[in-house]
Amino acid sequence: MKKLTPLELFICFSKIGLSGFGGVLPWARRGLVEKDKILTSEEFSAVLGVCQIMPGPNVINIGICVGSRFCGAKGALAAVAGLTIGPIFIVILLAILYDHFSYLEHLKGALKGIAAVGVGLIASTGFKMLKDEFRYPPMFFVIGLTLIAGIYFDLALGWVVLIVAPVAFFFARRKARKE
Amino acid sequence: MTLLLSLFIKLSLLSFVAFGGIIAVLPSLFELAVSQQHWVDAATFADYFAIAQAAPGPNFMTITLVGWHVYGLVGAIVASIAICWPSSVMVFYLERYITRIQDPEKKKIIQYAAAALAIGLVLTSSWKLTVGFNNHWTAILLTIAVVVITQTSKLHPLYLIALGAILGGAGLI
Repeated sequence: MKKLTPLELFICFSKIGLSGFGGVLPWARRGLVEKDKILTSEEFSAVLGVCQIMPGPNVINIGICVGSRFCGAKGALAAVAGLTIGPIFIVILLAILYDHFSYLEHLKGALKGIAAVGVGLIASTGFKMLKDEFRYPPMFFVIGLTLIAGIYFDLALGWVVLIVAPVAFFFARRKARKE
Repeated sequence: MTLLLSLFIKLSLLSFVAFGGIIAVLPSLFELAVSQQHWVDAATFADYFAIAQAAPGPNFMTITLVGWHVYGLVGAIVASIAICWPSSVMVFYLERYITRIQDPEKKKIIQYAAAALAIGLVLTSSWKLTVGFNNHWTAILLTIAVVVITQTSKLHPLYLIALGAILGGAGLI
């Protein structure tokens, strides 16, 4: 298998992190599969599949998987450093500007508008994922249970995960057997 | 120093249960940072969320900014590391294990269960954020419009963010 140095991984993932406006995932595919040709499309989908079932920031998980595959723990660290260092400094720069100019009514309004759009984008991700579940409707019971535990009972995230996970496994087993 | 330690420990714990990604932890973070610890007020938290949305990079930057608010540059770095390290360590060790599972049925079960859990958590999170951030009906309308547009077209999210900034800047939100 191809070997990559930590520096190469750092540069590759820096490009992905810094171009990731409005979500880094599509850029991760573009960078890793199409531009730098580190992974094939199938390999990327497999990695993404594993990273999405794990907790934590999905893109960071991809950095860990890809980095460690090509250069062990050092590679994983290099990839994550690449993904985060640039964007962290940009966002802090923006925060400094915000501290100076947040008294401006137009800026306050603009941020409110962006927040409303941001929430919509998040909800949209949820609905898109929901579409796949129509293939096995009993799964909606699991999703409903999560909503009841999280919204109606307002339980902490950890409790919701602990309560829902066994039910999710029960239905997942039935779904897998049915296919 | 105790503040930094508390920031680090509480965010690390959130990272372990962040199924569905950072999106799913945002309401917990809001609860923690605004209601419990009073690190930031609700309006500033919403503004930080907006700044993180508009900036490039992974979507945990809201957390970086909360860290920044609490303890400057060191706080920003500590918060970023805290939210990433537990899940990263899990992924580092478990990825090989999951990839090596040969039984396709076992693989499917894990994938389906995790997907259902993630969908529920992301939808819960969207609801809580809609209620938490949008304190005017025009904002809720904009959120709904974004959901409808993204479900029916392939418009790049950046255009929608720009639209939100323009509408908000004009004082309509």
